[in-house]
Amino acid sequence: MLLLGIDVGGTHTDAVAAGEDGIKARVKVATVHENLLSSIQNALEAITAEVDPGLIQQLNLSTTLSTNSIVEGKVEDVGMIVSAGPGIDPYSVMPCKNYHVIPGAVDHRGTETSPIDSNALKAAVDSCVADGIKVFASVSKFSPRNPSHEKTMQLALNGKADFITLGHKLTGRLNFPRRIATAYYNCAVWRIFNNFADAVSGTLEKTGLGHVKVNILKADGGTMPFQLSRDLPVQSIFSGPAASVMGIIALCDITQDSIIYDVGGTTTDIAIFVSGAPLIERDGIHIGSYPTLVRALKVRSIGIGGDSAVSLQSGTVRVGPNRLGPSMAFDGNHPTLTDALIWKGSCHCGSIEKSKKGFADFAAKNNISPDELAEKAINTAVGTIHDETRQLVDEINQQPVYTIHELLENRRIVPRKIYMMGGPAEALKDSIFQKFQLSTEVPPNYDVANAVGAALTRTTTDIELFADTEKGVMFIPSLGYRENIPRGYKLHDAEKDAMSHLLSHLGDLNIASAGENAEITASSSFNMINGYSTVGRNIRVKCQIKPGVVRTYS
Amino acid sequence: MLKAKNSLGMIFFPAFDWAISPTHPEREERLLYTQDQLLEEGIFDIEGIQEYKPAVATTEDVERVHFCFPDVDSIVTRSHYISAGGAIKAAQIVMEGEKQRAFAMVRPPGHHAMKTVLGSRGFCTINIEAIMCEYIRKMYGPKRIAIVDTDCHHGDGTQDVYWHDPDTLYISMHQDGRTLFPGTGFPQECGGPKALGRTINIPLPPGTSDTGFMMVMERVVMPILEDFKPDLIINSAGQDNHFTDPITNMNFSAQGYAALNTMLNPDIAVLEGGYSIQGALPYVNLGISMAMAGLDYSHVREPDFNPESLKESQDILNYISSLCDAIPDIYFNPPEKTSDGVVKDGWSVRHKNIFYDTGGFSESQTESLYLCDDCRGILKVETGKQSGPRGLGVEIPRNACKHCRDLALKIVEEAQNKSSNRYVQLINRQDEEYIRYGF
Repeated sequence: MLLLGIDVGGTHTDAVAAGEDGIKARVKVATVHENLLSSIQNALEAITAEVDPGLIQQLNLSTTLSTNSIVEGKVEDVGMIVSAGPGIDPYSVMPCKNYHVIPGAVDHRGTETSPIDSNALKAAVDSCVADGIKVFASVSKFSPRNPSHEKTMQLALNGKADFITLGHKLTGRLNFPRRIATAYYNCAVWRIFNNFADAVSGTLEKTGLGHVKVNILKADGGTMPFQLSRDLPVQSIFSGPAASVMGIIALCDITQDSIIYDVGGTTTDIAIFVSGAPLIERDGIHIGSYPTLVRALKVRSIGIGGDSAVSLQSGTVRVGPNRLGPSMAFDGNHPTLTDALIWKGSCHCGSIEKSKKGFADFAAKNNISPDELAEKAINTAVGTIHDETRQLVDEINQQPVYTIHELLENRRIVPRKIYMMGGPAEALKDSIFQKFQLSTEVPPNYDVANAVGAALTRTTTDIELFADTEKGVMFIPSLGYRENIPRGYKLHDAEKDAMSHLLSHLGDLNIASAGENAEITASSSFNMINGYSTVGRNIRVKCQIKPGVVRTYS
Repeated sequence: MLKAKNSLGMIFFPAFDWAISPTHPEREERLLYTQDQLLEEGIFDIEGIQEYKPAVATTEDVERVHFCFPDVDSIVTRSHYISAGGAIKAAQIVMEGEKQRAFAMVRPPGHHAMKTVLGSRGFCTINIEAIMCEYIRKMYGPKRIAIVDTDCHHGDGTQDVYWHDPDTLYISMHQDGRTLFPGTGFPQECGGPKALGRTINIPLPPGTSDTGFMMVMERVVMPILEDFKPDLIINSAGQDNHFTDPITNMNFSAQGYAALNTMLNPDIAVLEGGYSIQGALPYVNLGISMAMAGLDYSHVREPDFNPESLKESQDILNYISSLCDAIPDIYFNPPEKTSDGVVKDGWSVRHKNIFYDTGGFSESQTESLYLCDDCRGILKVETGKQSGPRGLGVEIPRNACKHCRDLALKIVEEAQNKSSNRYVQLINRQDEEYIRYGF
């Protein structure tokens, strides 16, 4: 039984086949930007040449398709129908032209305080249809508490849309502007993602892999089933860094507070682990000009990588953040961090001779000894990485909390160990160790850790449950589930219900994921008072399948 | 995307695990819907607005301000330390220049906590604004500070803490004390002998709405602030003037609160009361935050907001107008004598009986200010619960003359040796010394 992982990166598309006891095959092919499918095809062909396709059980795919479409603006026009009510001006978060705000309001407890204006709704739909819009997003304020406005808007679109995103189906978390942006992006990349998904299925058939179960990587360090990803393509954005982080988990035995570096060509991604588990971004990832509700591992990208240009500005040695072509070792004509590492003898790649000559020439031209230049360049790069890491850890330690217990018991993150991966990782290891004075590890297969991570990543999912015993309802917005509850419904009941819905949701997705990975991440119950008597409880429970890998090779 | 015109730091600490009692108005649920509203509006995503974790105040931060008997730790809960720490964090953010403004949206509140603390009054135990102000003065040097209290209840605690301090201007606008707890806050209460005209009380009639409040801001508060020229303006932002508040009788709206805040332009706002936790707080807190950040708040309104039905009558407006005519004079031409107390052996002495409504006991207190020609004078408080052990508090102000300082130290020394006081506390601002005896 083999698990396949493919990570379509900026430069290379990496693929590995992972078996019970180790990595059975690994390939690297160049990424063809204009045709991501062909990159995947090439990777699949290369890997099936090394292992028996019949043994492959599952393919986890990490692709930049959605991200690139958004960043490059190759997206479809979306019709956005929004019901906002009072608050911040809804036009301040208008992501596209066909953006219609319909009068109507729902408050923080999910009570409708003003019904949807059906005439305005009809006019908005007609105007979008006249503009030739085929994909729509319906988003209302506080829809996770009461989705009725979004459903009314959906009804009005009946028969006029190829696809509709409903805001409350994306997540149960609150944040109206982010919900708008997330729903917008989900629609904007829907068609391009689905066309790609069709093509991937076709390719698998042709490569003799028709039987393989496919999952798409998400930014939160989990996967989602292919079928589900067709409705939630926005969840696939920025899954690259998550793949790397999951790779480190698979290749190392991480138990302490740790720092993870994925050193690439242009950037270094920094992630922080707390007691061996990766940190998740509190709100969601940013893409384009907008923050979204897409859950993601907390990863900071900084402009230091192997290809970062080394330059001198009035005597000060700088590294990055720009890239002026490849390293001299790979026929570039400007020295890079990699060339500096080659000069110091800690890196052996490309043409060592060419690199050393070019580096020495550059140093001579700038009246500095190549030794000094290399040393300063490496120190500068490591210094930047160090400062940014400290800043990130400080920021995390500063994050707000809302209970006395959390504030007083909240322990600070104190990294004890560093794990490094990516091309230049091995070469930078000693310098990083010198700077931090922390045990620094570079695992074997570090150069394809992202594909390993993709291969071994588990399916994750998370849900939020709300219960209001005064109103006598319990609901889970993202599952569209709602039921009546008795007045005596308590936090304990809510926790049990949340867990069982989470697990049965996984069952619906045909994932035999073990319940031991399910956990409650937040749970609270507030007495609601009217006058001086308790009228009910406001209960909130969040639970998730922990991000993780199916097996490790450490 | 929105960008704040003024950068704003927000300390949001709802203390989701603390309450006086399960059904008390000051309870766990109080900021829950505010949090929902702020999160749903995405306010922390606006460029220039950032959320911060509160600091935790130290015992010394409390002792710098209060005479606390028997001692701080036996009265103050962890939640109070954090709420005061939230205010301190707000001060740090502004004073260090990290943000232009800060709003500490914390609970429990503090403006009914007086100079001497024996327990809880009006949901307050320690005065978080005063703790913040004295922290500022310790860390960042002497400052002229104006505290404008817009809570519906008279801030009798803050008034008491700053009664003798000419460098702190305390202005409170509130529902008339004849109709609401704590029953104080009349214009003739205008400061101790060394700080006359530095306490300004503006009692407003029940039913006052946006027009009335803005009239007071324009005709009383702003002219006085302009003259006082404070280094810092603090807003004690109580939100119980709201038309939906269950324990008051005013008609103020979220729009009104935001407009008031725009005019006042405070450096720091600290949340005080406000118990309409569903109908008011989410909208008022959002409105104030946006006004502080210099953002357009015109779309922020309560679901049942009807400005016409909230309007005050002409009678009420006429009455407020007459207050606006009279009150500024108290600041610009303060009376020569303080409204309460007698002069005895060179001390200005007043006797107070303070009822602790939350604790259900009374405090009997004699407060004396030494009338010195060279400095502000030292403060002496002798106090105790009825039939309980007595405590003595002595405070040396930062700019005390040598004579006063020596006198204060002598009083403390003598009290240890032979007085009937069970507890003695010294606040020595000059030497940053906060000492307790007899515990």
